[in-house]
Amino acid sequence: MGSPRALRFICSLAIVLFIVGVLSYSAFSRKAPDPPLRMMFKVAVGDVLFDHHAHMSVPGYGLDCKDCHHHPAEDDTDTRACSECHPAKTGKTPPQACGDCHDADEIEDQEMLKTGDAFHGQCISCHQDFGAGPVECSGCHVK
Amino acid sequence: MAEQKKLIVSHAPFWHDGSSIHERSYHIMGAALLPALAGFVLYGMPAVGVMSLSISFAIFWEFAFTAVTKRPLTIADGNAALIGMLFGMLLPAATPWWAVVTGTFIAVIIGKQIFGGIGSNAFNPAVLAVAILMVAWKERFNFDAAYVNYSFGFAAQYPLGVLKHFGVPATRIFHLGDLFFGRQTGGLGTGCGAALVAAGAYLIYRGFIRWEISLSFLAGIFLTAQIFNLADPVRFGGPFFHLLTGYTLFAAFFLLTEDSSSPVNLIPMLIYGFCGGVLTILIRNIGAHIDGSLYAVLAMNMVNPLLDKIRPKAIGKVL
Repeated sequence: MGSPRALRFICSLAIVLFIVGVLSYSAFSRKAPDPPLRMMFKVAVGDVLFDHHAHMSVPGYGLDCKDCHHHPAEDDTDTRACSECHPAKTGKTPPQACGDCHDADEIEDQEMLKTGDAFHGQCISCHQDFGAGPVECSGCHVK
Repeated sequence: MAEQKKLIVSHAPFWHDGSSIHERSYHIMGAALLPALAGFVLYGMPAVGVMSLSISFAIFWEFAFTAVTKRPLTIADGNAALIGMLFGMLLPAATPWWAVVTGTFIAVIIGKQIFGGIGSNAFNPAVLAVAILMVAWKERFNFDAAYVNYSFGFAAQYPLGVLKHFGVPATRIFHLGDLFFGRQTGGLGTGCGAALVAAGAYLIYRGFIRWEISLSFLAGIFLTAQIFNLADPVRFGGPFFHLLTGYTLFAAFFLLTEDSSSPVNLIPMLIYGFCGGVLTILIRNIGAHIDGSLYAVLAMNMVNPLLDKIRPKAIGKVL
């Protein structure tokens, strides 16, 4: 049973820690920073951990935002997420994001590169050009 | 034979040596506070949230179970709090609250109480709970995904994951000294080798855990990892890397040594620990899982009753 003192202590401990836990979860839960630090892409053939910070920071590769977020070309502040323009599956209608700036009759090419194709093209070509970073599937995708 | 005395028992009054479950629980929790603090330094308040909620809910579930089943109230012995603390330390700091609540329920109710309470549990309750959560919500234990929003001053990739997926050359981004002092990602209270060794040394010195289990486990890890590493140094990591990463040191000092699920005799303890180490490396190197420590602990918990039948020590002594 335990002594009344020990029982009081453990009950107090449970209550205090419950309050601390609730406060910690509600006030200090970690939000996704903008721009993101790292991103985990969920892919059927194996997830990919992409270190966004290492690619954009100066001690890292020091890439410019527009090196990857290439559209729209004229606006340096508009860095859309890749998947906004490059959908997971291609369809007969252009992605919703196109309509934010273009009228329907302005869009000539109805088919966008899929997310996976866009990433593969972007990542592998850059890694090959600079002779750095993996180019094989297993260099990025992990099961 | 007739004149031999099998047992030496003095007459009353008896003198209690002062040891108690209460004392054991709080000493182990006190020792675990050191690696938990290292986790707090690394992950900040989210680690405090997970730990606090884990301990409070473990106490609550035990209280609720004893109240519902009309059993004696046992929360004052501190064992439920200890289970909650160890469970919390195994989790990523980014674990959602509902996983903590579910996990502590599994640990206390399924891992301990349905076996009959303290001393009757076949498996380490905290390990059983984490293993079940790992099967149920595998993605929640992907440390790389869990810490995408955390900024560290070192390579923020789970070392054992890097070894498993990319081989030994990719692990050169980690330095053994950094790993020992906790500059690695993983469970919120399991990453700082220095703190874990200090806590383990204290527990061994005070007699709360048996050195035979801890050291034989580490020896099993070291030797097996060394053999694998010699066989293929590109694919299999070295022994020191395995000792300092994953749940290795936490398992050696806090998980394998749990009273109810570990042997009590010398030779069984050595076999239990050593085989746990061998199994851990086998699972890591040729198994499907990245870190085999928890499954190795559960497997050894399972064979524990058989091991204790090896050369059992007679009670008492012959004059």
